[in-house]
Amino acid sequence: MFFHNLKYELLINLRAPALIAWLMIFPIFLGTVFKIGFGSIYETVDSFGSIPTAVVETKENEIFRSVVESVSEGDNKLLDVTFTDEENALRMLKDGDVKGIIYSGDKVTLTVVGKGIQETIIKSFIEQYNVYADIITDAVRNDPARAQDVIAALSADMTACREVPLTQGDPDHYAQYFYNLIAMVAIFGSVTGLHITETNQANMSALGARRNCSPTPKSASLTAALAGSFIAQAVCMTICVTFIQFALKIDFGERLPLVYAAAIIGGCLGVTMGFFIGSIGRLSSEVKNGIAMTVSMLCCFLSGLMVGNIKGLLAEKIPWFNNVNPVAIISDCFYCLNIYSDFDRFSFKMISMAVYIVVFTSLGIILSRGKKYASI
Amino acid sequence: MKNSVVKIDNLVKRYGDLTALDHLSLDIAEGEVFGLLGPNGSGKTTTINCLLSLLTYDKGDIELFGKKMSPTAYNIKKEIGVIMQNVAVFDELTVYENIDYFCGLYINDKAQRKQYVDEAVKFVGLEEFLKSRPKKLSGGLLRRLNIACGIAHKPKLIILDEPTVAVDPQSRNKILEGIEQLNREGATVIYTSHYMEEVEQICTRIAIMDKGKKIAEGTKDELKRMIRNTETMNIEIIDLPDEVRSKISVLPHVYNTEYDGSKLTVYCSGGKHNLTRVLGVLQEHELGFGRVYSELPTLNDVFLEITGKALRDKED
Repeated sequence: MFFHNLKYELLINLRAPALIAWLMIFPIFLGTVFKIGFGSIYETVDSFGSIPTAVVETKENEIFRSVVESVSEGDNKLLDVTFTDEENALRMLKDGDVKGIIYSGDKVTLTVVGKGIQETIIKSFIEQYNVYADIITDAVRNDPARAQDVIAALSADMTACREVPLTQGDPDHYAQYFYNLIAMVAIFGSVTGLHITETNQANMSALGARRNCSPTPKSASLTAALAGSFIAQAVCMTICVTFIQFALKIDFGERLPLVYAAAIIGGCLGVTMGFFIGSIGRLSSEVKNGIAMTVSMLCCFLSGLMVGNIKGLLAEKIPWFNNVNPVAIISDCFYCLNIYSDFDRFSFKMISMAVYIVVFTSLGIILSRGKKYASI
Repeated sequence: MKNSVVKIDNLVKRYGDLTALDHLSLDIAEGEVFGLLGPNGSGKTTTINCLLSLLTYDKGDIELFGKKMSPTAYNIKKEIGVIMQNVAVFDELTVYENIDYFCGLYINDKAQRKQYVDEAVKFVGLEEFLKSRPKKLSGGLLRRLNIACGIAHKPKLIILDEPTVAVDPQSRNKILEGIEQLNREGATVIYTSHYMEEVEQICTRIAIMDKGKKIAEGTKDELKRMIRNTETMNIEIIDLPDEVRSKISVLPHVYNTEYDGSKLTVYCSGGKHNLTRVLGVLQEHELGFGRVYSELPTLNDVFLEITGKALRDKED
């Protein structure tokens, strides 16, 4: 009986136009819009890590060469250097293969074409070198044995303007919008939650009345409906995260399985919220749908989906609010996973979601129990 | 005497100041096709909802198959097939899936369920639409699907709440024939409608309801015998003298006459050869007349005479 109900609940959910529209098409569309909107910023940020640069040695300068080589090595190298002649360097600059040409001789000079972040970084690097050049020269003259240590230390200083990984992850400001997008899809699970009450309560639809005439206990019917909705929602959440991660190439970090887990639990939270709203009072299903959508959108707004800094503002003014806003809790899960190396904050957010799920489900069942169809 | 399948005793249901059911009692025996007839708002659907424990009620008792009905009386519910007034199917499921889903709420065995679903599909004539979604079906086909979902599990008691509303004549006939067949196969049927012709056609016993009360109950012949009118004659005639109409009015068994300038209507109560006598008076006065036809009383006449109002509006 349970599996029979579950099978059809799944079919009903996965074929429901509202679910397909709100939980599959809409997030894909909105995610794509975000990606297009933030696209140019992402390109800049992506190339921030290693700036292609040509070096033309007009005169031998071993100290500068050592410094350049030291900032062009390793995983977090600042420059991707090509030593070449001037003609080739100019051609590379013209073709966009390099962002600037460094002329190394008695003096170190720079030629760039654009005025972007990468050009500015190379310029800062050259300015810093020129400031420290005398110190390095003194070190070479006075204590040649320690010259390499000094160069290494100064090279580190020169690259200090780069992002410093205080945490394990990538604190991408724009990724927050995608976290909120996933949280929005999760909370829109309230649509499927509402559908459960609509089709199980005799006072809300003919289907509800019809089901209540059958020998299937209400508890069994609700359990199958909730399970079906959870699975359908999990499918939607998986599609959403997969699309953002692999199609839009928004990096969720190295803890992808936990991202999926958080998204699915968040989706279940959305379903139970809809189930709870649907179980309240004797309002029509249209009114309840309106309430669910309003609550969902408000939570999304206050979580920063529409206005990026509102969440921070709320954290400052009403510190507890982000801990009770379901959308903020869900999006914070992804943030915690990407930012913090430990799991304390992530675990707290997951537990918060679990508590919400239990409370919403319990209240929904209590409120649904014994409802009687009442109209003539 | 046959077993009582449905027993409603002194049922009262109130919505605030409105009494939806006013001390209603019914006793429906096994094998009957019992009609609940009444205008909209008379309490038919409320009676059905109370019967199915979808509604609480203020007073009274309801027993089905000799056991008290309650929301958790699953053994009783297993034996009931319900066809709601509003079509209750899932738009997301196909015709076959809908019938299978509802049948599965009653029948666990897969093989048996498949057989029942196939039979239900054939019964309502939806073989060509098995993979169609309900939204693609016409109103009549949708009603047939609704019925298939209600009867697929072969219930002993079938409750049909106005199943032919907004249905084309072809589908209506199919539905009515189907109900008669289900009854022949052993099911007890409760049929609510405000279409008196349907109730007259298929019901073995009828209760007429108005304002939450049962105002009459019996077979259609018993109900018709309850009223004064047994025959209504209509004679097309122009320039009928008053003295002739007066003579007709005092004929035996005639209790009323009406004349609108072109048609004489004569109401009789009992007796035989009434038409012969009326036509005899007209011939006696050498009056020519056109079309003559006689009507037997309908359930509407019964309702009209008991309540003073028509059972349903003419446009229905």
